[in-house]
Amino acid sequence: MRMMKGKLLTQRGALALAAAWGLMLSGCGGVNSSLNSVGPQAARIEKLWWLMFYVCSAVFVLVMIALFVSVIRARQDTATRVEIPATDEPELKPEPERERRMTRVVVGATAVTVLIIFVFLVASFFTGRAISSPLYAPQNVLTIEVTGHQWWWEVRYDDATPSRMFTTANEIHVPVGQPVLLQMTSRDVIHSFWAPNIHGKKDLIPGKSSTLYIEVDHPGMYRGQCAEFCGHQHANMGFYIIAESPEDFNRWRDSQAQPAVSPVTDSQKRGQQVFLTSTCVMCHTIRGTLAAATEAPDLTHFASRQTFAAGTLPNTRGHLAGWVVDSQSIKPGNHMPPNSLESDDLMALLDYLENLK
Amino acid sequence: MTEKQKKSEKAFAPEVDERELHKLERTWEEPRGIMGFLMTTNHKTIAKRYIVTAFIFFLLGGMEAALMRLQLSRPGNNLLNPDLYNEIFSTHGTTMMFLFAVPIMEGIGLYFVPLMVGTRNVAFPRMNAFGYFIYLIGGLFLYTGFFLNVGPDAGWFAYVPLSGPEYSPGKRVDIWGQMITFTEIAALVGAVEIITTVFKQRVPGMSLNRIPLFVWTQVVTSFMIIFAMPAVMLASQMLPADRLISTHFFNPAEGGDALLWQHLFWFFGHPEVYIIFIPALGFISSIIATFTRRAVFGYTAMVLSLIATGFIGFGLWVHHMFATPLPQLGQSFFTGASMMISIPSGVQVFCWIATLWSGKIHMKTPLIFVLGFFAIFTIGGLSGVMLASVPLDLQVHDTYFVVAHFHYVLIGGAVFPLFGAIYYWFPKWTGKMLGERAGRWHFWLFFIGFNLTFFPMHWLGLKGMPRRVYTYLPEMGWSYGNLAASIGAGVMALAVLVFLVNVLKSLRVGEVAGDNPWGAETLEWSVSSPPPVYNFFYLPTVNGRNPLWSQMEETPVVVGLSTECREVLVTNILDAEPEHRYELPGPSIWPFLLALAVGETFTVGIFTPWGFPVGAALSTLALFGWFWSKPKSEGVRALEKPKTRSLDEARLSEEGA
Amino acid sequence: MTGRPALEVSALPQHGFDTRAPLWWGNLFLLMIETTMFGILVATYFYLRQNFLLWPPPHTHISPFLLDPVPNLLIPTINLFVILLSCVPMFLVDKAARRGDKLVAQIGLLICIIFAVAAIILRWKEFWGIGFTWDENAYGSVMWFVLGMHMLHLMTGLGECVFLALWVFLRKFDEKHRLDITVLAVYWYWIAGVWIPLYAIIYFTPRWQ
Repeated sequence: MRMMKGKLLTQRGALALAAAWGLMLSGCGGVNSSLNSVGPQAARIEKLWWLMFYVCSAVFVLVMIALFVSVIRARQDTATRVEIPATDEPELKPEPERERRMTRVVVGATAVTVLIIFVFLVASFFTGRAISSPLYAPQNVLTIEVTGHQWWWEVRYDDATPSRMFTTANEIHVPVGQPVLLQMTSRDVIHSFWAPNIHGKKDLIPGKSSTLYIEVDHPGMYRGQCAEFCGHQHANMGFYIIAESPEDFNRWRDSQAQPAVSPVTDSQKRGQQVFLTSTCVMCHTIRGTLAAATEAPDLTHFASRQTFAAGTLPNTRGHLAGWVVDSQSIKPGNHMPPNSLESDDLMALLDYLENLK
Repeated sequence: MTEKQKKSEKAFAPEVDERELHKLERTWEEPRGIMGFLMTTNHKTIAKRYIVTAFIFFLLGGMEAALMRLQLSRPGNNLLNPDLYNEIFSTHGTTMMFLFAVPIMEGIGLYFVPLMVGTRNVAFPRMNAFGYFIYLIGGLFLYTGFFLNVGPDAGWFAYVPLSGPEYSPGKRVDIWGQMITFTEIAALVGAVEIITTVFKQRVPGMSLNRIPLFVWTQVVTSFMIIFAMPAVMLASQMLPADRLISTHFFNPAEGGDALLWQHLFWFFGHPEVYIIFIPALGFISSIIATFTRRAVFGYTAMVLSLIATGFIGFGLWVHHMFATPLPQLGQSFFTGASMMISIPSGVQVFCWIATLWSGKIHMKTPLIFVLGFFAIFTIGGLSGVMLASVPLDLQVHDTYFVVAHFHYVLIGGAVFPLFGAIYYWFPKWTGKMLGERAGRWHFWLFFIGFNLTFFPMHWLGLKGMPRRVYTYLPEMGWSYGNLAASIGAGVMALAVLVFLVNVLKSLRVGEVAGDNPWGAETLEWSVSSPPPVYNFFYLPTVNGRNPLWSQMEETPVVVGLSTECREVLVTNILDAEPEHRYELPGPSIWPFLLALAVGETFTVGIFTPWGFPVGAALSTLALFGWFWSKPKSEGVRALEKPKTRSLDEARLSEEGA
Repeated sequence: MTGRPALEVSALPQHGFDTRAPLWWGNLFLLMIETTMFGILVATYFYLRQNFLLWPPPHTHISPFLLDPVPNLLIPTINLFVILLSCVPMFLVDKAARRGDKLVAQIGLLICIIFAVAAIILRWKEFWGIGFTWDENAYGSVMWFVLGMHMLHLMTGLGECVFLALWVFLRKFDEKHRLDITVLAVYWYWIAGVWIPLYAIIYFTPRWQ
């Protein structure tokens, strides 16, 4: 009786498991997901995933069926069953014919395993080759340099003309449909660049250079995040890839290449003074002013960004004020010191920063 | 007790001379009191300490996990700050890998290997005691640090440069590094013990092809420890050297290399997974054979699969590094190897299913845990095949998918069989049965809690949630998955509570077990529960792979070992033919003192370099004391003629061996 | 039940040499661990070398500036021979221990101790022939590490020689310690043997750029 109950429970467990697997199937998708690809690289990986997912699910189901059948089968002689195993004489000489049959089945199952692995290996190899180089138009590659910092992303757009080179942070604009080569390294510890909708991840290692080809086919704003543990604010080391039409992209690029706009109102002018006379200049750059440090994000066109603090906060005045005064309460352990500013000075500083389009 | 049961339990014990028995008891007696505690060299006592200590670390690691799940149960939670969270997850991983999983597996091995191969103690009893003390010092050191807020915070694999001198100032990583040193010494000592015992101290008749599968798993694991641990031994000296005396192994500015650490660590770290998992395969084989009432199908295939796993396990380490800038062709090799390892695992699963298919199944708690293992481990194994593929790994590497995967493999592959093993062998350890009813509650709570915790993590990983984050934004859409996982963790905690209550209650009022309550096949069940301090009065001989099932009245026993000194029988490697008698040392305080000296070296060494010369001097002293101390019974060489009141003095007949 | 047959082992000896002795096997496994360790150390050496255009790197911290500061060969080569030669007395001690020849074993152990001390003193000099300290660059670090790890083994070997010599002189030349001597010999051959490739790698490969 107890055994019957055990059996029932076992079956129920299997049902629950199957239901959970189904849930997983239906739950994939959504905004930030490796199964909602928006570029050819992620799409190839997604295909590979589904191949492996279905084959592995089939293997799982078959193994479970074999297990259940064997458990149920061995219980068919319930009438003769004994409660205490010690009193059930062990089978010392297994029946040779049955053992031979089972040997054949085990060998067959092993052969199928080998076959499946071979298929996976080939599929994996070709997918790997396809995603590690630009798929289309290999000549027309845009190169962007990404440098990881604790805990933000420095983004640098190269250009043959030095005056058109510029640096920004945490938001990477790319033109739709054009292959982009990311050349990445790290300034401090190991980080990992990962935008799941676009491609797999790549580690940024100090002293080494890593490359990643990406391409985005649909305009939009795609979130990514550091995937290698890098210290206190690893959890909030996000970034966005903003894919836009080539025209929008070029317009954006032209404006970013300009130096910062000069302050116009008195309050903005005072804000600039506050910026330049406080500790801000120790770490930040605003091109066109004396602030030229590279420890922290370049703020030349700060107001043109939609988020700040590495993709963590929306770029609004309220959030900005809170961040400037006490960033430690928002992202504990980050490298920005608290700033005790008079409220007038703070307002002026915010006016200035909000004008840096 | 039925007549039948009595018969199977009692087997064919030869009569025992009471006087000789007392002598043997006195010879092997363990000293009492606190000094006795520090001096004992009995493998069962030391193994029990390993098991209990490791289980306490398991509970601590589990509490850390519960704290993490509380923090992550909702987005933007403020229960733990990032600094504390980092300490907790690093300590959780370190505890579970180094202080729980490896020692408990070795502990069970150290308990049962001598019993299963039929000897009285391990080959080097004092080294064995030393190994335990050094492990204990390592664990205490880590947790002292943890409670003083200097616990490790760079993750259980402590990637440089984050763990280097510049980004982890203070003592946290140093404590971690030295704890690794302590536990690896303990693991290496245990491995040498186990292999030597199996190679040289098997009972006559136990040729290589008759060694129980459990013992094979311990041998393969021990060899893996021998070849894997040196890598981390070096790494865990280079990292503190970089931090304390400014070497540049991992400093790119002076020609060092951050990836070197990853190679060294994973060359150890991947085999480590198999070091944890392979002993569990031994538990499974033992349990399945007993509860299907037949020998495990395909002994040779099983052994070859174990050995193959041991070899291939060393060819996988780079699959932890697919996201680093390494050449693609090299990566394909590691994809191949990583997928290939599923073949021997597959063979073993198929053989076990065949055993179940053709056996007579007794659905007792140990077997239920093993069936749970099949369900969970299969998922973990299959997601492992996925991770072996470079492109797919680039997506799911370092995400919660990986967290799900390795918990499916390690909890499914090692902890479920471990619980099964505890239900199975608890009667042997304590003489009491564990409660079956509570066992089933334990299983179902643990099984459901486990899947509720870790299954949603696959989905979270695919949805972009990286591992080791102390919080996440509400708009990421990870809230429900995380909430489910946190609830599941609570259910798991409840399951462990049920288990603890079951253990405590059974110890007090459990059903008395008898020598062989399950009617199992291996030699540990031929002695009383718990086994006598000398294990066997007469060493048995064996005539097959399932000695207790196939032994007959004519199966000889070994006579002529001294009862006045701690003598064991040494046999040869291949056929276990008797070679000589060998006296093992008795209780000694020196292993403890040596452990203290070595402990001083590495703990004080992270504060001042003087720790090293002082420690070296103290260790040398301790070693001199160790080897200078006279064996207690030196000179007691006059062997008693065997008292053969009821035994023929006949030599072992050829066919008996 | 009175007819239960027995395997009588009381006539078996109480000690065996080589593969018969558990201690010999324990030592073998220890050497497997150590050999793996040195193998990985060699891999580390070549791995770090990839990061350098010139190996060893030009020595710029000193004046005059050294473009190709290959390690000094004289003392290391002498030491190599000292270490290899020390195997001869060790071999004689090994044989004497098997025969039970106490006098040869005593004298041999003393000679071994002299050799080991000489090797350690020469090794100390070797450190200063590298030309870099451990904290100058990764080359210096790995050189110090290789030499240091091997020196640790020399010191352990010396410690064992001293211990067994004391035992044989002060206590007795019993079977157990005769076995210990033969196992020490295996350990010592290994120390010498493993140094041949290590010597070639750290002292000669930098000369083949």
